[in-house]
Amino acid sequence: MRSDLDYLVPSSVEEAVALRAASAGAAYLLGGTDLLPQMRAGRKAPGQLIDLKRIPPLREIRETADGGLSIGAAVVMADVEVHPAVLGRFPLLAECIRTVGAWPLRQRATLGGNVCNASPAADAAVALLALDAAFHVVSAEGRRSIPAGSFFRGPGQTALLPGELLTDLVLPGGAAGFRGRYLRLSRRKGMDLATVGVLVGKSSGTAPDRWRIGLAAVAPTPLRVAAAEERLEAKGAAAAEEAAALAVAACRPISDLRGSAEYRRDMVGVLVRRGVVELG
Amino acid sequence: MSAGRSVGRDVPRVDGLDKVTGAAQYTADLKFPRLLHVAVVRSPHPHARVLDVRTGLASRAPGVRAVASGRDFPLHTGIYLKDQTVFATDRVRFVGDPVAAVAAESPEAAAEAALLVEVDYEPLPPIFDVEEGMAEGAPLVHPDLGRYEVVPWIQPKAGTNVCNHLKIRKGDYEKALSGSWRVFQNTFRVPQVQHVPLEPHVSVARVDLSGKVEVHTSAQSPFTVRHLLAACFGLSHGDVRVHVPYVGGGFGGKAGINLEPIAVALAMRCRGRWVRLMVDRHEEFFATVVRQGLSATLVTGVDRSGKVQAQKMHYLWNCGAYGGYGVNIVRAAGYTCGGAYEFPNVWGDSIGVYTNRPVGSAYRGFGMQEIHWALEQQMDRVALEMGIDPVEFRLMNCLGAGKSTVTGQVLDEHAGRVDLCIRRVAEEIGLDPARERRPYRGKGIACAVKAPAMPNDAASSVVLKFAEDATLEILIAGIDYGQGLMTVAAQFAAEALDIPLETIRVKGCPDTDLSPYDWQTVASRQTWATGNAVLRAASEIGRQLCETSAEVLSVPAADLTLRGGHVVHEPTGRSIPLTRLVMGYQFPDGHAIGGPVAATTSYLPEGLLFLDPETSQSAKPVAKWTFGAQAVEISVDPETGQVTVEKVAACYDVGRVVNPGLIRGQTYGGIVQGIGTGTMEELVLDPKTGRALNASLMDYKIPSTEDVPTVMTVDFVETPQKDGPMGARGIGEHTMIPTPAAIANALFDACGVRISEMPITAEKVWRALKEKEKVRCRTPLPCRPLAAGPFSAESLARHLSSLPVPARTVALLTGIPRGNGSVDSVTVKWAHGRTRALVGTLRSGDVREVAYQPDVAALTGLGPGLTPTGDDLLVGLAAMASRLGDAGLVDPRALRAYGGSLGGLASASTTPAALALLGNAANGLYPSVLAAVVESLGNPDVQPETLLERAARLAAVGAHSGADLLAGALALALGIVFPEEAR
Ligand SMILES: Cc1cc2nc3c(=O)[nH]c(=O)nc-3n(C[C@H](O)[C@H](O)[C@H](O)COP(=O)(O)OP(=O)(O)OC[C@H]3O[C@@H](n4cnc5c(N)ncnc54)[C@H](O)[C@@H]3O)c2cc1C
Repeated sequence: MRSDLDYLVPSSVEEAVALRAASAGAAYLLGGTDLLPQMRAGRKAPGQLIDLKRIPPLREIRETADGGLSIGAAVVMADVEVHPAVLGRFPLLAECIRTVGAWPLRQRATLGGNVCNASPAADAAVALLALDAAFHVVSAEGRRSIPAGSFFRGPGQTALLPGELLTDLVLPGGAAGFRGRYLRLSRRKGMDLATVGVLVGKSSGTAPDRWRIGLAAVAPTPLRVAAAEERLEAKGAAAAEEAAALAVAACRPISDLRGSAEYRRDMVGVLVRRGVVELG
Repeated sequence: MSAGRSVGRDVPRVDGLDKVTGAAQYTADLKFPRLLHVAVVRSPHPHARVLDVRTGLASRAPGVRAVASGRDFPLHTGIYLKDQTVFATDRVRFVGDPVAAVAAESPEAAAEAALLVEVDYEPLPPIFDVEEGMAEGAPLVHPDLGRYEVVPWIQPKAGTNVCNHLKIRKGDYEKALSGSWRVFQNTFRVPQVQHVPLEPHVSVARVDLSGKVEVHTSAQSPFTVRHLLAACFGLSHGDVRVHVPYVGGGFGGKAGINLEPIAVALAMRCRGRWVRLMVDRHEEFFATVVRQGLSATLVTGVDRSGKVQAQKMHYLWNCGAYGGYGVNIVRAAGYTCGGAYEFPNVWGDSIGVYTNRPVGSAYRGFGMQEIHWALEQQMDRVALEMGIDPVEFRLMNCLGAGKSTVTGQVLDEHAGRVDLCIRRVAEEIGLDPARERRPYRGKGIACAVKAPAMPNDAASSVVLKFAEDATLEILIAGIDYGQGLMTVAAQFAAEALDIPLETIRVKGCPDTDLSPYDWQTVASRQTWATGNAVLRAASEIGRQLCETSAEVLSVPAADLTLRGGHVVHEPTGRSIPLTRLVMGYQFPDGHAIGGPVAATTSYLPEGLLFLDPETSQSAKPVAKWTFGAQAVEISVDPETGQVTVEKVAACYDVGRVVNPGLIRGQTYGGIVQGIGTGTMEELVLDPKTGRALNASLMDYKIPSTEDVPTVMTVDFVETPQKDGPMGARGIGEHTMIPTPAAIANALFDACGVRISEMPITAEKVWRALKEKEKVRCRTPLPCRPLAAGPFSAESLARHLSSLPVPARTVALLTGIPRGNGSVDSVTVKWAHGRTRALVGTLRSGDVREVAYQPDVAALTGLGPGLTPTGDDLLVGLAAMASRLGDAGLVDPRALRAYGGSLGGLASASTTPAALALLGNAANGLYPSVLAAVVESLGNPDVQPETLLERAARLAAVGAHSGADLLAGALALALGIVFPEEAR
């Protein structure tokens, strides 16, 4: 890790974007729980760190007009997972966040960092995908909104253009009411990355029930399995096995230190079925 | 547990306040003026010749003060076998082997300069596995092995990769094997793992302008570091001074010598400057030391009663690139190769093999967890396949007073009671053979034994001295890296001198210039060795105090005792406080006697004898043994393979519990570390490059608090050790030895799969369950459950007396073979007897699985063919038992016990096809052709022709499989309906 590092602390989004535009080698910094280990391991070597944690709007959780919620990129996960609106209307997000590392880590790690780092194993990202979140970004060129479904492009790769800054993650009001389970396997019980993560969500307010199936650590990006969701919406929980088979077909796991592709594929099926059966 | 005034009591640790307040200083906390930082240049190749090392550019880089590399430091080091130089000289032997090092004004400057050191390598073929290393013509990791200096009791083989080979030859193994009733052979493996101490290795060194060397280091053995540094640099011991501050965990990884030579080599190049080498977590994993890997093949021959008669153990140790320390693990594993058991005839080989992997060294347990992984699973397999309860089997074969170890040492009644430990943990976990079984819950047990592995003359010494206010100061050079040595040293002194613990200060951070000698803090030896030295010193101090007091009080010294900080004359009650004695006693007239009270004493184990070089027989090869056992209860998720350790019970015969809190802490910690190596840890190397793939805490997992079992019960037996301080013996390492094997045995109990290669990961269990499922699906006959139907005893009787049966079936039912003298005739007789016995047990309603196991074990695999006769009989019997169970003629609990005994069979006991049939039968699935007959028997609605037709279809299956299946079913039906006739 280099020692001649500039550490910059802008107080507004505009200032941050301008600093970033002025230096190609700079990186945005939130909790640093992804970025700093990557720098230490020599996988990233930014010349400047632009710390976004002191920018007030990025640290807010706001209600939106449509009954949704906007979560600032710099809000730490520990604050998201206990937020009443999250627990009341978007409990799937809390369900996923609670599995990230351990509580001390979540005092520092942010939701924004989790999605921008775009790990295939990003646990919170699965919930954001399932809840049709929109990611608001800003750059010197202006603002735009990227749907979660088209944000993740590959391991460490996102739809963000160079210099673009994620300001907040917006959960639409229409996604309120999903409850469910995030079933996750790891090599040990505490503080480990997912070997396989399966989110199963269900919303019973409407007829027919709406379902959500999200997968982590079994493809180059976090995934949502629309085919399985549709099958469940058509046939209900009785189609658990079919939904599981569709999820297995959709995943594209690799073999690594955490598990073989074969094991992961089988586990996707097991966990989807279990989740669906449990939500019945 | 017996408690004295201090010994046996749960006193808080004396270093506790230092640690919780942060007052405790660790090596990296120490501040040094103008400190230089080190970066090490390490080999990127697992095996290569070093052609040239050019350091010119690096030494001219900004901030660089010293560069050191190979050829400048040609002397070898190593505690038992001197096979390593400070830096690689002519060849590198693992990825991470130090080639050169740079000291600079900042860590960054050092790291950048290290990149400028140019090394030319010529890659050589690497060896990663022991089997490769042992192969004929394998590349040699140490071509100069024959020239290395070595202690006399280690036997390297020049011209090979074998750095030590210990042979155990006891009794007549070959003869005993050929006389065995059954023989079992299995292979088990253990990968290299790392210690993962909280505090990574760090050493700081300075060579002053006069040439004297001073080192501060995170180490387990200050004197051994001094000894080896002196040898490695050709210095006088008097010119080397080693300090060890508080240490944040060692687990063996800081035993012997580690980073110190590199720091000293650099310090020699920039005299007067302090030089600090501190590895980060990444380097800690592969560039310091690791636990050796093991590949173990065991052969066990038992007699009919289940007593082991012949035992062969072939241990191949993956020592990695250097074996300086590891060679003694090879030796210890050799003379302990039989674990906690008595084997009358033994053929043991413990062989250390060099490979191009990270350096193997001491690790808590010193080889014992590894060999127990093999031994304790082997014992379980043998027990189950012999149809003997694993607890009973262990009790039948375990060591105890009057029994002889693999070296021929006959244990006396002071040696410790593994039998009691086995019983206690079995009871605590509920290993009752008649226990209620729940699917995917399992219980398992494993024993443990270990002796201190050390040179016969390894000694400890202490200084006890008083301060003016009668504060007792204890100087030790054993290291308290968390296990509590400082506290127990204080407890022994408090007990022996009857002074309050609060008046004792243990000086636990040694300095070789000032501290008394101690060999090393390893081998679970400190409580015992330092404890003994403290007791001797206390008695010497008592003598001095009483002598002075005798003169003061004008009484015989023999009448004086120490009590509550006074010397007391018991007959008169007169006393003198220690405060008036410790610096000498002054009489009212002004004259003084005595003088500052102090003692220096040592302890050296007595009467240890070398092993015979060819057979390793020795009447006293080690100072003591500590025995113990653990039992565990686990649950298994059948779909994901995840194993959860629910409950662990541990019991050890420690001779004397010195501090209940500390010993519980040691045991909990050992169990958790055992769960770590047992279920998650393995240092994975890239098979092509030899690089460690998981050298980080992200990818190398040790247990987190959430992985700790919710229930751990800890118990102790106290059979006093004759030469132990107040009877105590060592326990530190033993606590992690049996855990992985106990989990493996519980796994088999839970779901019938065995993982013979540590660690037991979820994916391995998942795979094994899939394999088992596949075997089950490949049944030669389609299977199904029995259909329920009407039953009457009368119609069964009618059916039985009217049904025509094949001659083969008749032969099995009567035990009278058709043609005498053939191999098959033996099968028929034997099978008939065992079948009858099983029918009898089922009829008696015995609910214990063990009641069925011997006959089931005897029948499995009996006879030739795809599904041997014995297995067919068992399946036929099972089907009929189920039908009669439904009819209320067989106790359902007896049925379950019988079914259970079919489910737990090991894969080696019969053919895969038969195993599949038996597995199905255990789960209530029977060949359809058999089911059709069994359902008809006793069913009043079934027409006689239908039954006849079905029986004929069954009889037509296979050469005689159908007839055998039918025989099993009929044997039980006859036995239940016509008990007399059957007899
Ligand atoms: C011990 C440990 C355990 C972990 N366990 C888990 C786990 O179980 N599950 C899991 O999903 N993750 C885990 N992580 C990874 C990490 O903690 C999470 O991904 C976390 O959410 C990252 O957030 P951060 O605020 O620390 O991001 P940072 O590290 O600060 O940033 C992450 C990346 O996003 C970029 N970035 C930051 N802000 C912006 C922005 N506003 N716009 C654009 N780009 C931006 C940064 O440049 C960087 O590349 C773990 C990490 C550690 C150290």
